[in-house]
Amino acid sequence: MVTMQSTKLRFLSATVLLFALFSMLMFPVSAAGNQEVAASRISEAEWWMAQAYEAVLDAESADADVSGLLVRLNDAAELLSEARMAFDGGDFDEAAGFAESMSEVGYEIVDEAELLEIEAAKARVHSSWGFLAISVLGVSVVVVASVLGYSFFKRRYYRRLSKMKPRVE
Amino acid sequence: MTMKFQDYRTVFQVSSLALVLLAASPALSLIVSFPRSGESFSELWLLGPNHMAENFPFNVQAGEENSLFLGVGNQLGNSAYYLVYVKFRNQTQPLPNSNSSEPSSLPSIHEFQFLLEDGDVWETPVTFEILDALVHGDSMVVESVSVNDRVFQVDCSSTWDSENKGFYFQLFFELWVYNSERSTFEFHDRFVGIWLNMTG
Repeated sequence: MVTMQSTKLRFLSATVLLFALFSMLMFPVSAAGNQEVAASRISEAEWWMAQAYEAVLDAESADADVSGLLVRLNDAAELLSEARMAFDGGDFDEAAGFAESMSEVGYEIVDEAELLEIEAAKARVHSSWGFLAISVLGVSVVVVASVLGYSFFKRRYYRRLSKMKPRVE
Repeated sequence: MTMKFQDYRTVFQVSSLALVLLAASPALSLIVSFPRSGESFSELWLLGPNHMAENFPFNVQAGEENSLFLGVGNQLGNSAYYLVYVKFRNQTQPLPNSNSSEPSSLPSIHEFQFLLEDGDVWETPVTFEILDALVHGDSMVVESVSVNDRVFQVDCSSTWDSENKGFYFQLFFELWVYNSERSTFEFHDRFVGIWLNMTG
C-alpha cells in the first residue's frame, strides 16, 4: 500500500516537474511568437497607413475635400503610434490589437479616398467643360465685337476725314 | 498732337488681344498652373502649462507630474503626415545635428503621429513624470520616465554639473515628416526641448 502510494506520488511529482519544464521551455517560444506576430501586424499597419495617406494626397490633388478623411486618418495614426509604443514596451498582444484595428481603418480610408478622387475627377471634367464653354463664348463675343467695332470706327474715321476742309495758313 | 489711323489701329488691336485673353482665362486656367508663392515650411513649438511661452518645467522631482503643450504647424502647401519623437538625454548624449540634418541617435520614449492639412496646426498636451531616479555619488540615474501615462525605461545617468550646480537632463521633441516618394519618414530638421534640473 505504502509502495503504491509512493509510486503515485513519484508519478505525480514527475508529471508536475515535466509540466513545469515544458512551460518554461514554451513560454519564451510563445513570447517570441507573439513578438513576431505583433511585428508583422505593425508592418502591415504601417503599409496601410502609407497607402491611406497617399490615397488621401491623390484625392486632395484632384481637389476633393479630404478634411473628413484626415480626421479618420489621424485616429488611425494614433492607433499606429499606440501599437508601436506597446511593442517597444514589450506588450505584444496590445501592439497586435492596435495594429489590426489600424489596418482595418486604413483599408476603409483607401477605399473612400479612391471614391472621393473619382468623384472629384468627374466634377473636374464637368467644370472644365463649363470653363471651356465660357471661354469659347467670351472669345467669340470679343472677336465679333472687335471686328464690328473696328469696321465701325474705321468708317467713322474716314467719313470724318473726308468732311475735313483743307486749311491754309 | 493728333493720332494717326495706324496708331488707333494698334490701340484697338492691343485692347482686343487683352480682352481675348481675359475671356479665355477660364480655359487657360485649366492648362496653366501657377507655382505656390512663398516658402514651404513646418513649425514646431513648445508652450508651458499655462499655454504660454513661460513657466516651462525646470526644477523637477521624481514622482512629480509636469505638463507642456506641443504644437506643429503645416505650411508645406499640401497635407502632411508628421511624426514627433520624444527623447530623453543627459548633457553629453547627442542632440540632432542641424548642420547635417541628422536626428539624434537616441531611442524615442514616446511618439505622436498625425496628419495636418495645409495651413492647419496640431497641438497636444504632454504630461511627463520622472518615475525612478537614484543618486550614486556624483551621478544620478533616471531609470524610467512616463509620458502621457506610458512608462518607458530610459536608464539615463547624469554627472553633477558643478558649474550650474545640478543634475541636468533634457526632454526633447524631434519632428519627422513622411516622404511619399521614398515611402519613409525623414527627419524634418526641427527639434525643441526643455532642460530639467533634477537636483531638488
